[in-house]
Amino acid sequence: MRKLVSLVLTAAFAVTSCLSLAGCSGQTAATTAATTKAGETSQESKTPDGSEPAVANIKVGAIYINSQNDTAGYTYAHHKGITEGMKQVGLDPSKDLYIVDNVPEDDEKVKQAIDQLAGDGCNIIFGISFGYINAMKEKADEYPDIIFSHATGYLSNDKNFNNYFGRIYQARYLSGIAAGYKSLALKNDNIGYVSAWGVEYAETCSGINAFAMGARSVNPNAKVHVYEISTWGDQEKERQAAQVLIDTYKCCVIGQHCDSAQPQIVANEKGVFGCGYNSDMTKEAPKAHLTAAVWNWSAYYATAMKAAMTDKSTFMQTVGNYYQGIAAGLVDISELSGNCEPETAEAIKIAKDLMVSGKWDVFSGVKLAFSGAAGAVKVEQKNDALKDNKGEEKVAAGGASVGDDVIQGSMNYYVDGVTQVN
Amino acid sequence: MNKYHLVRRPVQSLRRLLIYYLIGIVISLGIGAILLASLGINPFEYYGRMLTIGMVGNKYAYKNFEGFLKVLVPLLITSLALGLSFKMRFWNIGGEGEFLIGAISAAIVAFNVTGLPRPITIILMCIAAMLSSGLLGVAVAFFKVKFNTNETLVTLMLNYIMLYVITYLGKTKESWNFFLDPKSARPIFGKFPESAIMDGIKIGNFNLLWSVVVAAVLVALIYVYLKYTKHGYEIAVVGDSTATAKYAGMKVGKIIMRTMFISSALIGLAAGLTASASGTISETITNNVGWTGVVVAWLGKLSTPAIAVTSVLIAILQFGCKTAATKYPSIDSNFADLLQGIILFSVLTADFAATFTIKKKEDAKNA
Repeated sequence: MRKLVSLVLTAAFAVTSCLSLAGCSGQTAATTAATTKAGETSQESKTPDGSEPAVANIKVGAIYINSQNDTAGYTYAHHKGITEGMKQVGLDPSKDLYIVDNVPEDDEKVKQAIDQLAGDGCNIIFGISFGYINAMKEKADEYPDIIFSHATGYLSNDKNFNNYFGRIYQARYLSGIAAGYKSLALKNDNIGYVSAWGVEYAETCSGINAFAMGARSVNPNAKVHVYEISTWGDQEKERQAAQVLIDTYKCCVIGQHCDSAQPQIVANEKGVFGCGYNSDMTKEAPKAHLTAAVWNWSAYYATAMKAAMTDKSTFMQTVGNYYQGIAAGLVDISELSGNCEPETAEAIKIAKDLMVSGKWDVFSGVKLAFSGAAGAVKVEQKNDALKDNKGEEKVAAGGASVGDDVIQGSMNYYVDGVTQVN
Repeated sequence: MNKYHLVRRPVQSLRRLLIYYLIGIVISLGIGAILLASLGINPFEYYGRMLTIGMVGNKYAYKNFEGFLKVLVPLLITSLALGLSFKMRFWNIGGEGEFLIGAISAAIVAFNVTGLPRPITIILMCIAAMLSSGLLGVAVAFFKVKFNTNETLVTLMLNYIMLYVITYLGKTKESWNFFLDPKSARPIFGKFPESAIMDGIKIGNFNLLWSVVVAAVLVALIYVYLKYTKHGYEIAVVGDSTATAKYAGMKVGKIIMRTMFISSALIGLAAGLTASASGTISETITNNVGWTGVVVAWLGKLSTPAIAVTSVLIAILQFGCKTAATKYPSIDSNFADLLQGIILFSVLTADFAATFTIKKKEDAKNA
C-alpha cells in the first residue's frame, strides 16, 4: 500500500508540475514573443553602413519526408538545394536552418512540425512533400508573418503561401534526344521506361511523354514501353521492371522515374543503355548511362530566401507560384557520357536553346525533327498536333503549349508512341 | 557458467528499482552525450531542450505543450488498455490494428454524419470507434476461448491487415472513396467537416483539448475498476491462474471476452479522440502507440498509476527527442530515435537487474 501511495503522490506531483509549467509557459511565450518582436524591429532598423539594401537575417525552416542525412534521392536533392541556396544569400545553414525530418504525410505530424519551426522563430518554412498540402494551407492562415512554401502542390494564397515545382519535363525531353540517337544507331525502336506511377500523377506522366517526344524527334518510329512499379522507390521492383523491359520488350535504352539507380545498373549488366534521374548515374552504370535529368533546387531556394529577406510582405508578388524550368537553371541534364552518339550534344544544344529562349516548349503544337550527321545537325520545326496515344487531339497543330496543368497535376494521358506494358 | 543462475529477487523493493532506473538513465544519457559531443553539439543544451520539450526560448511554447499532450493522450489510454488485458495474461499486441480500425470507423462517421452539433458528432465517432475496435478484440478472444488459438499471433497479424486496409483507403482514387480529398488529383486523405473536429477549453492561448480531460478521467475510472470492483478482482484471479478461477466458479471465457472488449474498446476510444483532434486520418495516425504501449504497460508493472506516470515520461522522451533534433542540422530524427532506444534499453536492463539477481546454482536449489 505504501508503494501505491508514493506512486499516486508522484503522479499527482507530475500532473501539478506539468500544469504549472503550462501556466508559466503561456506567460513566457507572450513575453518572449514581445521581446523577439522588439529585437526584430531594432535589427531591421539598423541599416548596414553602405551600398547594400537592408536585408533582414532570417531563419529557415524545412520539413522533409526522409532524412536530411540521406546521400541520394528526393530529400537529399532538396536538402542540398536549401543549404546551397542559403550560402548563396549569405545565411549559415549550421545556425539559421531548422529541420524536422522523417515527417510522414500526416496532417497532425506536419502541423506539429510547423508549430515547432514557428516557435523556433523561422521566417520561411519549406515543405517538400505533396501530402503536406492541407496542413501547410491551414497553418499559413494561422501564422500570417511566416512564409510557407510547398513543393509539388497546387494550393496557395495571395499573402504568405506559395507552391513551387520545376519543368523537369524539359530536361526529360533532352535526355530523350540522347535515347533517340542511341536507338537509331542500334536500329532498335524499343525504348523502356521504369516509372513509379503512370498517368495517375502528372509528374510521372509528363516526364514519360516528354522523354518519348524527345526520342521521337530523332527517331520517329521509336516506341516507349512504360513499366509502372506503383511506388516511388523500391530497389528490387526497379530491377525487375528493367529486366522485363530488356528481356521481354527488347528495349535498348532504359529511362526511369524512380529513386534508385537500379534500372541503370541492370542496363549496364545487360549491355544496353539508359537515362537516369535525379543525379548523374554514370558512376553507377559507366558503360550504359547516357545522361540524366537532374534538379538544381538551389535556383529556387536562393530566389525564395532572397525575396523573404528583402521584403516578406511582397513575397507573393516577387516570387509567387514558381514553375521555372531549364531557363532558370532549376532543371538540367547531367554531363553527357562517352556512351552518347556523336550527334547528341549538338541536337540537345539546339533544343535547349529553343526552350531557354522561350520560342518553343515541349507540349505544344510544334514538333522538332532532327536530321544530319555530327557537325551538321539540323532541326526542322513542324506544325503537328499533340495527340494522346488513343489519337485524341490535345493541342491543335501550331497551337501554344499546354498551360501550367502539366505541373499542377492535370496531365493524365500518354502521348502518341507511349504504351504502358503492365 | 552453468554454475550461475538467474533468480527472481525474493523482495521487490521500489527504492531499489528507482535507484537502478536512475543509474540506467544516467548511463544512457552519458552514452548519448558522448555521441552528441562527437557531432559537435553541446549535450547539455540538447538535453535541456529535450527535457523541456523545446518550450524554453520558444515563441509559441504553449503549442509545444499542446503537441505534447496530443502525443500523450493516445499513448496513455492505449497503455492502460493493454495493461488490462496483460493483467489477465492475455497477450494482446494488437494495439495498432485496434487503433486503426477505430480511427477508420470514426472517420466513416465524421465524413458521413453532418449537420449535428459538434459534441454529438464527436461522441458518435467515439462510439463507432469503440464498437469496431471492441468487436475486433472480442473476435480474437472468442477464438482463444473456443479454439485456444494463439492470441499473440492473431492480434499481431490483424495489425498488418488493418495497416493495409487504411493504406488501401488512402491510395485508391475512386468515386466511392469518401475518405479522400475530392479536390486533389492525387489521392490524399480529406479533412473532416468542422463539426467533427475536437475543440477544447481555452486557457489564455493554450487550448486544453477535451481528449486530455477524458484521458484523465479514464485513469481514475480504470484504477477504481481494477482495484475495487468484482470485475477487477476476476481479472486478477484469471491472470494468476485460470484453474483457480474455474474452481472459484468464475466463467473464465466470459471474463476473457468481456475484458478484451473493454481493452480494445478503450484503444478504439483513443483512436476516435485522436482522429477527431487531428481532423483527419492517416496511415501513421497510431504514432506506434500499439507497440510503445506494450513497453509502457510493462514498465509500469501493470499498475494504473505507474502506467500513467510512465506514459508521461515516455511521451516527454519521444516528443523531446524529436524537438531537440530540430535545431541541429547535423542530426536528424533517426538520431532522436537512436537516443530514445538507448534510454529505453537501459531502463529495461535496469528493470531486469532490479527484479532478478544472479546466484550460484546450489543457492538457487535451496531457495
